[in-house]
Amino acid sequence: MASDTRKGDIELVSVTKRFGDMVAVDNVSLRIPHGAYCCLLGPSGCGKTTILRMIAGHETPSQGDIRIGGASVAGQTPLQRGTAMMFQAYALFPHLSVLDNVAFSLKMRGLDREARHQQARELLAKVRLDQFADRLPAQLSGGQQQRVALARALITNPRVLLLDEPLSALDEYLRLRMRGELRRMQKQLGITFVHVTHTQLEAIAVADMLVVMDQGRIEQSSSPDKIYNTPRTAYVARFIGGQNVLSGKVEGVADGMATLRDAGGARLTAPLGNAKPQMGSQLYLAIRRDRIEVAKAGGNSADAGEANVVRGKVHSIEYQGSYAKVTIDLAQPEEFVANVSDVDFLRAPVEIGDEVLARWSPANVRLLEGAGGLGDKQIYADADLI
Amino acid sequence: MTMHSTADRSRPWTFYALAAFFTLFVLFLYGPMIVIYVLSFQGPNGGLTFPLQGVSLHWFDALIKQERTGDIAGAFRRSIGLAAMVTVLTVVLSVMAGLAFRRRFAGAGLVFYMAIASLIMPGLFVSLGIGLIFQMLGVTPTWYGSALGAQLTWTLPYGLLIMFAVLGRFNRAYEEAASDLGASNWQRLRHVTLPIVLPGIIGVALFGFTLSYDEFPRTVLTSGSSNTLPLEIWAMTTDVTSPALFAVGTVTTVISFIVIGLALTSIALIERRRLRRVSLDESPTVD
Amino acid sequence: MKLNPQTVSWLQVAPLTVVLLVFFGIPMLMVGAVSFFDYERWQIVPTFILDNYVELFQSSLTLRLYLIAIKYVAIVWAVTLIIGFTVAYFLVFHVRSLTLKMGLFLLCTVPFWTSNIIRMISWIPFLGRNGVFNSGLESLGIIDQPLSFLLFSDFAVIVAYVHLNTLFMIVPIFNSMARIDPGLIEAAHDAGASRWRVIWEVVLPLSKTGIALGSIFVITLVMGDFFVVKIMSGGQSATVVSALATEIASLQYPPAAASAVVLVVIVALMVSAILRLVDVRRELTG
Repeated sequence: MASDTRKGDIELVSVTKRFGDMVAVDNVSLRIPHGAYCCLLGPSGCGKTTILRMIAGHETPSQGDIRIGGASVAGQTPLQRGTAMMFQAYALFPHLSVLDNVAFSLKMRGLDREARHQQARELLAKVRLDQFADRLPAQLSGGQQQRVALARALITNPRVLLLDEPLSALDEYLRLRMRGELRRMQKQLGITFVHVTHTQLEAIAVADMLVVMDQGRIEQSSSPDKIYNTPRTAYVARFIGGQNVLSGKVEGVADGMATLRDAGGARLTAPLGNAKPQMGSQLYLAIRRDRIEVAKAGGNSADAGEANVVRGKVHSIEYQGSYAKVTIDLAQPEEFVANVSDVDFLRAPVEIGDEVLARWSPANVRLLEGAGGLGDKQIYADADLI
Repeated sequence: MTMHSTADRSRPWTFYALAAFFTLFVLFLYGPMIVIYVLSFQGPNGGLTFPLQGVSLHWFDALIKQERTGDIAGAFRRSIGLAAMVTVLTVVLSVMAGLAFRRRFAGAGLVFYMAIASLIMPGLFVSLGIGLIFQMLGVTPTWYGSALGAQLTWTLPYGLLIMFAVLGRFNRAYEEAASDLGASNWQRLRHVTLPIVLPGIIGVALFGFTLSYDEFPRTVLTSGSSNTLPLEIWAMTTDVTSPALFAVGTVTTVISFIVIGLALTSIALIERRRLRRVSLDESPTVD
Repeated sequence: MKLNPQTVSWLQVAPLTVVLLVFFGIPMLMVGAVSFFDYERWQIVPTFILDNYVELFQSSLTLRLYLIAIKYVAIVWAVTLIIGFTVAYFLVFHVRSLTLKMGLFLLCTVPFWTSNIIRMISWIPFLGRNGVFNSGLESLGIIDQPLSFLLFSDFAVIVAYVHLNTLFMIVPIFNSMARIDPGLIEAAHDAGASRWRVIWEVVLPLSKTGIALGSIFVITLVMGDFFVVKIMSGGQSATVVSALATEIASLQYPPAAASAVVLVVIVALMVSAILRLVDVRRELTG
């Protein structure tokens, strides 16, 4: 499939979508460059699928505009927009053969049997399914069905491919393999992919551009490594995983560092960057879980003056192969986890119930924007990250 | 779907008790009918009950020759013709209406309740009402006019309910995929929606045919001067003098069974083809 | 030309609606109107009088007919409920293979597809004095005289009703039971409930909708019947609608219409009483 020269950059301009009283998408503006692999990531109900469907043309925005290739696509059918969608459970037509499924859009356009079957076979050969052309979808495995769905969407020569949780119907092993396939395919085709998922690991692995969403709004939109290393808000930090969120009241500001006192009395410091916090305000910060040193407290307690040390009891230890996930109970509602490398853990093991001190360097701390309180909901990472 | 864990292969005593009950029930259902089928092969001198005095096709013969049986052949023709018309109309109207109910529209509730009322209303009353109207208008009731309408009041509600069940289960994603791939609304209906719900449509046709073919209360006052088969049978029952009646019963049941068999077989074939799993090549090398 | 979706729906539902209006709605209104008419020997006279209703309510025959009808309904309802529940229970919970379950279910429904009249009269050679049942009992030595109450009696009427209508109990109850999450039953077992407790506390309440639907069908069918009772009782018994049919046969349309209206009202009351007890709407709309 030749790389498409039509521009496939997508722009959402102040898009809002309401279903009755419920606001699914709240004044979202976003720019996705042509040829990017963009992932919309968030828990169910965050609005990511609604945005996907609006780009596709299956929903219309209550307010705002959607532009593809620089021109507004309001009122256009999916075919007119040059978008194609891969549905969550593939939605392969059960009564048609694989070949007829792939050739479907050509049939709708009026191509005769010879022509459309030939084109369909070519595309099936590209996804290495040509020997299954005469089978019915029910006779294929999950991974094969997905490739048929892909071929069926690609035959329309779209400039944007929209994928609605494409990997969630597959088992673990296949999921990992298909991830690579999708990425490879996108690079080959050179068109824009918009991929919706609730799985953090998946999103980080495939995306050039990651958009983290919650409750109809974009929390952060950037490259995966920037989001992982420098989450903007407490929500993103918690959702992406791999970070601990701590908070404290601002006590002092000096030399580009802020000093906070947390609820347990510990002193925390963090690089200020451009932030200008007020004295006494409640701030949130994030520290990467794999940048924490854990040691038995023994009889020592930390110096009263030492910052960035907390003391607690080991609540649970989970072996994860190359590291040990040590959960420490700090008598606060937020979870605190240290991912100790296996080498370090072997050198200085701890056990459940041990009193331990956890230390880290302020250089690895990030100040977070926004209120960041836990509120009523607990954000659980979908899978453990390092 | 059992009360016991799958590891528990032995059956409790209640299973045997219930199985026995079930068998008795099936015998109860089929027994009398089988008696009739057997008796229809009654010998020429035999009466209405056992013992069989010889086995013969005499009474079937009598049907064809129409001795002592009234206009059976004509009634039979009319029944089949009427049932065919009712089937076609029921399918078309029920499918259309079923599609309509997928959206919310003003008056949907009224139509629904009218259909349910039509289903539950004793057939005789419908017959009476139609007969009165035709009489008042001075139009002669006919088997292809008033009786057709009367039977539709019975088959349409069933067809509608079946379409509700079928379309309710239908996954809208198929239609969205079709739109996504460029299908117009009409193309979507013709190439995706209707083919996928075809088994349900066959079910509607089956209901339409059998309900019409055996229909009695709604037809009794509306078929005018010519009888359908059930009406003809009714006339014979008030005067049960020969096993010819049983022969009619056997023939008409065979026809019903043939129609049912065709419909169910085609549904089974379609479903099987779409759901059949061949070996799943999940191995990496095949990919 | 893009049509408003509402309009499309209207167009699609129109043919069915028209047919139902013309052949059901209007005829029913007609029956209602005629119930207020007067009649002479050969024709009906369009006026507005209440005589038909007055005569209906004053006649002791009316009460007797309704009592007979209710007697039949009560007995038939009870019998079909017990049989229907037991058969459905067996099929849903004791038959393990799905194909066998569906196959046996079809086996029960197939007779429904054949003529009601044939099925009804098939009991005559079965129950008669020289019929199969009596002959069988005699040859087994259980009785010396044929049992005459079997045919042309209330017993025969009830047997015929049960034979024709049990299916209408089985199907909805089967559907309701099939939707019960088997996990619930297992949980009840784990909690120590005996088989009967499980049925009473879990299966029965969850099958309520099916039982209600089946009851509605059976009640309306038995209340509205006119030919089963006539044939199977040998003309000795009559019920509301069979008496109505006689009036129709003698062209006495207005009283017949009045009788019909009263019956419809009474049956409607019975049905709404059932619906008040159990919410059936979910089941109907799939």
